[in-house]
Amino acid sequence: MSAIAYFLEREGIATTGISLVRENTVSFAPPRFLWVSFPLGRPLGEPDNAPLQRRVIAHALELLERKAGPVLEDFPEDVVTPIAPAEDGGESLVCPVSFGAGSAVSADWQARLRQEASALLPWYEAGTAARDRTTFGIVDADPLALSQMLGTAVDEGELPPHPIKHVLEDLKAFYTESMLAQPGADAVNLNEWLWMDTELGRAMMALRGHLLEAPEPRTRALADTVIPRWVILAYEDN
Amino acid sequence: MVRLSDLPDYEAAHLLAKNGEPFSPPAWVADTRPASDRKFVLITTAGIHPVGEEPFLSADASYRVLPGTPGVDFAMSHASVNFDRTGFQQDVNVVFPVDRFRELAAQGEVGALAEHHYSFMGAGLTAPEYESSVRALAPVLRREGVDTAFLTPV
Repeated sequence: MSAIAYFLEREGIATTGISLVRENTVSFAPPRFLWVSFPLGRPLGEPDNAPLQRRVIAHALELLERKAGPVLEDFPEDVVTPIAPAEDGGESLVCPVSFGAGSAVSADWQARLRQEASALLPWYEAGTAARDRTTFGIVDADPLALSQMLGTAVDEGELPPHPIKHVLEDLKAFYTESMLAQPGADAVNLNEWLWMDTELGRAMMALRGHLLEAPEPRTRALADTVIPRWVILAYEDN
Repeated sequence: MVRLSDLPDYEAAHLLAKNGEPFSPPAWVADTRPASDRKFVLITTAGIHPVGEEPFLSADASYRVLPGTPGVDFAMSHASVNFDRTGFQQDVNVVFPVDRFRELAAQGEVGALAEHHYSFMGAGLTAPEYESSVRALAPVLRREGVDTAFLTPV
């Protein structure tokens, strides 16, 4: 973000905005930024908290009136929103869907993932209708087709015609949006449910194992792009 | 929270490895007009784009156009997996505050808002590798009368 700011100012376009990692911003010394203590992925603080988002924006806009720079100010409010589950756990997300007996139903990932996605589909459709918005749609394929692609990749080692990273991000968006309307849904229990309690989470971990064993360096490198570090550590601890 | 002291050591080390050197020569647009006298564009490095349009690939310094009109769905194809996406999936304004800026423009808190906004993907590249894309975008912004950019990372 610092680079975009610097090169725009060189072109005569003034900039202000949000810094998430203060140390990075200090090191580059870009013209104007407001540092916030919010989690990575949430520069405006919290979803559906318009008053907080407006306060963040207002503070960043004030920086435009400073006479000299570089300017790096700290936003005075914290939002205590952890992303990864704490060791002592927290409020679990109640999933409205029964996924059956998982591996007892079928030994192959394709069937398990298809069953899970089919069960979530009505909840996804209801959720997107209520929000009138979706973030699903990187790949031109429906959730069941994407589940099939991932299952095939894990079962047979055959990567799909689309970048596997895009397939996974779409599946994660589909799963998360299916659960957003559940009472108590937040970043912690959504992430914990997705990665630890679903066939999708387990399939992505299995895929990572396959990728790490691939003979081609480019395929092996994909392994670092599919699983968050905290999830890898959580699986290792289990 | 992104206080390095609050993060596990491995995450703090990963983030500190992204530090660089101060840009040289320094750049500073000497213009102290308030926001109410400016025309804004929103630029994010969150790696988002309208649903159905070309996603970002790894090590991609190009940008995507984000329509500023209501009712557009955005997807996120950012290469990194080590940040929270659930906030964006719930409310796009967490990374791309277009609804907030439309409200501010309607209230006169910001002078005007561009019709189009832009997303880069901040991952896998060094700062100088974005220069040519930003230099290509700048005249597009000037033609639309934009004088100020509001920037959000992810």
